[in-house]
Amino acid sequence: MDDRVDTALRDGYKGAPNRPLPRSDSFHDANDPVEPVATSRERDMPKRPGWSGPTYYGRSQLKAAPFDPWIVGGYIFLAGLSGSSAVLSNLAELVRGKRAADVGRRGRYLSMLAPTLGSLLLIIDLHTPQRFYNMFRIAKRTSPMSIGTWILSSFIPFAGLGFLSQLGADVFKLGGLSRLARLSFAPAAVSGAGLSTYTASLLSATSTPYWAAQPKELAIRFAASSIASGAAALALGAKSDSNRRTLETIGAAALAIELAATVMSHKTVKAKGVGESLKSDWGKTEEVAALGLGVLLPLGIYAATRLRRRKPTAANDLAALATLVGSAMLRVSTLGIGDDSASRPEVSLRFSQPENLPPPRRR
Amino acid sequence: MNVHPRARDYTQSALGKMIPNESELTAGVKIEPGKQYGFFTDTTVCIGCKACEVACKEWNNLPADNVGLTGHSYDNTGALSANTWRHVNFIEESGGKSVRDNDQNPFQSGWLMMSDVCKHCHHAPCMEACPTGALFKTEFDTVVVQQDICNGCGYCVPACPFGVVDVSKADGKAHKCTLCYDRLKGGLEPACAKSCPTDSIQFGELSDLQARAKRRVAELHDRGVHTAYTYGTPDGPGALDSPGVMGDMQYLNAFFLLTDRPEAYNLPAAPTRPSNRIAPALTAGLATLAGLALAAVALMAGGSEETHRGR
Repeated sequence: MDDRVDTALRDGYKGAPNRPLPRSDSFHDANDPVEPVATSRERDMPKRPGWSGPTYYGRSQLKAAPFDPWIVGGYIFLAGLSGSSAVLSNLAELVRGKRAADVGRRGRYLSMLAPTLGSLLLIIDLHTPQRFYNMFRIAKRTSPMSIGTWILSSFIPFAGLGFLSQLGADVFKLGGLSRLARLSFAPAAVSGAGLSTYTASLLSATSTPYWAAQPKELAIRFAASSIASGAAALALGAKSDSNRRTLETIGAAALAIELAATVMSHKTVKAKGVGESLKSDWGKTEEVAALGLGVLLPLGIYAATRLRRRKPTAANDLAALATLVGSAMLRVSTLGIGDDSASRPEVSLRFSQPENLPPPRRR
Repeated sequence: MNVHPRARDYTQSALGKMIPNESELTAGVKIEPGKQYGFFTDTTVCIGCKACEVACKEWNNLPADNVGLTGHSYDNTGALSANTWRHVNFIEESGGKSVRDNDQNPFQSGWLMMSDVCKHCHHAPCMEACPTGALFKTEFDTVVVQQDICNGCGYCVPACPFGVVDVSKADGKAHKCTLCYDRLKGGLEPACAKSCPTDSIQFGELSDLQARAKRRVAELHDRGVHTAYTYGTPDGPGALDSPGVMGDMQYLNAFFLLTDRPEAYNLPAAPTRPSNRIAPALTAGLATLAGLALAAVALMAGGSEETHRGR
C-alpha cells in the first residue's frame, strides 16, 4: 500500500485527529462506535430560524425584473392617476350633479392617460414589442399581468367613449353629447378602481423580496397614492373653490393613509429581513421624493392653508404638483428598491426563510 | 453548402436511423407522454467536470456567456441564464474567504459541487405568472417556454424563486432549461443526464427518482453523512423544521440531494408561491380604494350642504 495512505490511516487526517475514517465499514470493527465528524455545516444546520451565513461568492440568488423602473413605474403612476380620476370624477358628478361638471370633464380627459401613454409605455417595455397582442391570447387569474391586461382593456372603451363624446361636446357645444359622455364614462369608474389597485399585486406576486414581503402594505400605499394623485390632478383645474377644497380634503385623507401605510410597510420589510434594501440609493429616493415631497410637503401645505382659511393659492397648486410627482416617484422607487433586494443574495436568502412562509393552508 | 468547418468533422451516424426508445438503454426508462419526468441531481457524487454544461450547450446550440475567469473557485460560468441552462456550483468551505485550505476533512466535506438547473416546479411560478401562455406544462410534466409566443414581457424572471428564467438580450425572449423537450419527444434521455459520467444527474420517472433519492439519503446517513437530505421532494410531516421546504409549490420535478444548508448552494431555504399573494394584495388595495371613495362621497355631500347654507 502507498506509504501516504498508510500514514493517513494510522494517524487520521489532521482535520479529525485520532478518529477512524467514516468512509467504509471495513475500516473499523462493528464495536467501535463511529462518531460523526462534526463539520462546521453540522453545527450550523439546526440554527433555524434565521440565517446569516455566507452567500455564494456574493452572487445574486434571484434575477431582478427586466423592467425599466422609469417606464414601468411611469405606467403604474398613469394607471393609478387615470383610474382614480375616473372614480373620483364619476362620484363627484353623481353627488354634486352639474356643479361638478367641470370635475367630470377633467376626469374624462385625465382618464385617457393610461390607455394612450400608459399602453405605449407597457409596449415599449416588452422585449419583443411587435408581439404585444399575445397578451390577449389568454386570461389567467394566477397572473396579475394578465388580470391587468384585461382590466386595462375593459377601461379603454368606456374611457375612450367618454373622452371622445366630451371632446365633441366641448368642440361643437352639444348638450346631448355631454350627457353621452357622462353615461358612457360611468362604467370606467369600476375598471378604474381595478386599474388603480392591481399594480400592487403585479409586484407582490413575484419572488422579489421587497415586493413579496408586503403584499397588503404595498397595495394600501398604491391605492392611497392613486387616489391622492387623482384628487390632486382634478383639484389643479377645479373651477369652484368648493370643489377644489373637497378634492384637496380627499387628497389629504389619501395622503394620510399613504403615510400610515408607508410606516407599516417599512416595519414589515425590516421584520422580514429586507430592510437593507431601504438603505440603497432607491430607498433614499423613496424617502426624499415619495415620502418627503409626495406626502409630507402637501400634507403640510394643506394643513397650513386650511388653518388660515385662505382661498386656494399658488401653494395649493404646489401641493397638488408635489403629490403628483411623489406618486410617480413612489412607483419608480418601489421598482428600484425591488431590483436592489432581488440582486442582493444576503437579502433574498434571508427573506426566503421558513419563518417568512405563509401559514400552511388546507389542501 | 454553407456549413461551418467544424460541422464537417462529424460524419453521419453509422446507424442510419435513431435507436427507438434509446432512453431505455441509457437511463433505464421509457419516455411516454402523460407521465412525470424529472432530474435527481445527487451532489455527493458530482465531480465538477461540467460535462452537463457542455452537453447542454452543444445540444441546444447555446452560445457562451462568459469567456473569462470569475475568481470564484472553478465556477467560471457564474449563474444560470438565457444561454446557460446547467451551471455547476463550486463551494469551497474550508479555509474561508474562498481560499482553499491545504488540510481537508475527509468526505468532500469542504469541497461541494452541484449542477444547478431549472427546477421544473410542480406549481411553477414562472408559468403561473406568464400572461401570454408561452410558458406551459408539457406532456412530460416539465415546464417549457414556447419561443413563438413569448413576447419578452419578462414577468417570469422576478416570478422565479430560484433566479432561473432570463430574458435574452439577443432575441428578446425568455429562455430556460426545457428538460430537453425535443429529445424526450424522440425517446432520448436529456443531454446533461446522458453525459454525466458519475450519474450525479439522473433522469427518470419522478416517483422512481424520489424513491431512489430516499434510499440514497438513508445510505449516506448509514455511512456517517448525517447532513444529507433532499431538496425539492414533497414535504413530509414537520417539514418546516427541515431545510428546503417547498411550501405551496409542493415539490420540484428537478430536485437535489444536498449535504449543506440550501443557502450554501445559493438556493432559498423556503421558496414561496408568488400567486398566493395576488388575493391579499387585490383585496387590501380595493378595500383602501373603497374606503377612500366612501369618504369622498361623504365629503362631497357634506361640502354641497355647506354651499347651500352659504347661499
